[in-house]
Amino acid sequence: MSADPNARTASFPSPPGGGRRGSRALVYLVPALVAAAVAVGLGVYGKVHDPTGTAFNLAGFSSPGAVKSWLATGAFFFALIQLLSALAMYGRLPGVRAPSWTGALHRWSGRIAFLLAVPVAVHCLYAFGYQTYSTRVMWHSLLGCFFFGAFSAKMLLLRAERIPGWLLPVIGGLVFTVLTALWLTSALWFFRTTGVTT
Amino acid sequence: MTVRPWTRAFPIRFHCPVATKRSGPLYTLLAGLVLALVMLSLNATTGSGKSSYGDSAPSPVPPTPTPSASPTASPSPTPTPSASPAPNADYAGRTADRAASVAIAVRDGKAIAYVCDGRTKEAWLRGDVADDGTMRLTSSPKGSTLTGTLAGGRITGAVELPGRTWKFTAAKAVKPSGLYRATARVSGAKVEGGWIVLPDGKQVGIIDRDGEPSAAPSIDPQTGAVTVDGEQLTAKPVVP
Repeated sequence: MSADPNARTASFPSPPGGGRRGSRALVYLVPALVAAAVAVGLGVYGKVHDPTGTAFNLAGFSSPGAVKSWLATGAFFFALIQLLSALAMYGRLPGVRAPSWTGALHRWSGRIAFLLAVPVAVHCLYAFGYQTYSTRVMWHSLLGCFFFGAFSAKMLLLRAERIPGWLLPVIGGLVFTVLTALWLTSALWFFRTTGVTT
Repeated sequence: MTVRPWTRAFPIRFHCPVATKRSGPLYTLLAGLVLALVMLSLNATTGSGKSSYGDSAPSPVPPTPTPSASPTASPSPTPTPSASPAPNADYAGRTADRAASVAIAVRDGKAIAYVCDGRTKEAWLRGDVADDGTMRLTSSPKGSTLTGTLAGGRITGAVELPGRTWKFTAAKAVKPSGLYRATARVSGAKVEGGWIVLPDGKQVGIIDRDGEPSAAPSIDPQTGAVTVDGEQLTAKPVVP
């Protein structure tokens, strides 16, 4: 599989001069640097900040763990919509012709998933911090920081013109995979340990 | 169906207008950032005092000889004692995230504490209780620390194990709840067990077999009897 040099991710013509070497590098450098800064920044905050062990709860839930598990489950649900709508847009769902609203579905399910994941991450970092005391917790901490970095990179790359056509699916798939791993190491663990409670 | 190569760009009809396309992802990131900052500021303003985990804020008020100082209507028969040193009692409770339990036995100004998550993390800590109810207990060998304040019939504080810090609240524990320990030699291995029986009757414990920790079988809180690897042991209440 080779990158099609004529592949466009934008439907409008790129402005003249957009193909200069310097700005070509910036197209990748800025998202990569932002992603690294976000991931490392979250990790450092989680490590340096003294975990409080507490944070505010939402009404109607028995514990912050339950709130977070359900928010994460919601985010994972919308991430599944992300996967399906992306596959449809790229014509990879056998027998499915993507309707014209697939793009909107993809954008809004992604936004909802992201906004559901943010409170969970805030609670994790504020109350628990970056921890490594078990394999599950270590992977969860690591991937949690990585997720928001990768997501930032995906968002910034969406704005870029003339990037290889395989790049967005690869980054999107990465973001989805990491979110799945995060859900498995937190919400699924919570539901298995304490039962499916609200 | 024809399989399109991944290198093919989106069909044009999926693209939104130029303005949205260029700024939409930025607005998404911005919205997440704003949400995170709002939640952090909410946490910072309401976080410390009003805990969502149900443990009450530690009272900085030193014990006073007047029982009327505590306006709670609970029928608790534990008026705050006027005399220092700290009263002799056992205290047991959970960490703020309920991942581990903490039990502390206080006798004549000395304290011994056990922290245990029921699986792999545990620590025994010892130290003195100051006249004002504060304590700083340490493990041997060094590596874990417990700092706490005994006030109003409960101990609040934080316990730090290697790589982990927990806040905790431990309320006065009446037998059979409390802190138990058993040591024995079972089929050649040195077995050490620690148990915390919580006021609600639940218990957590860890068995060390030659220093290898694992979840402990339950003890009978009335007698302390427990069967480890087929051997009948008796866990005894711990006193400093």
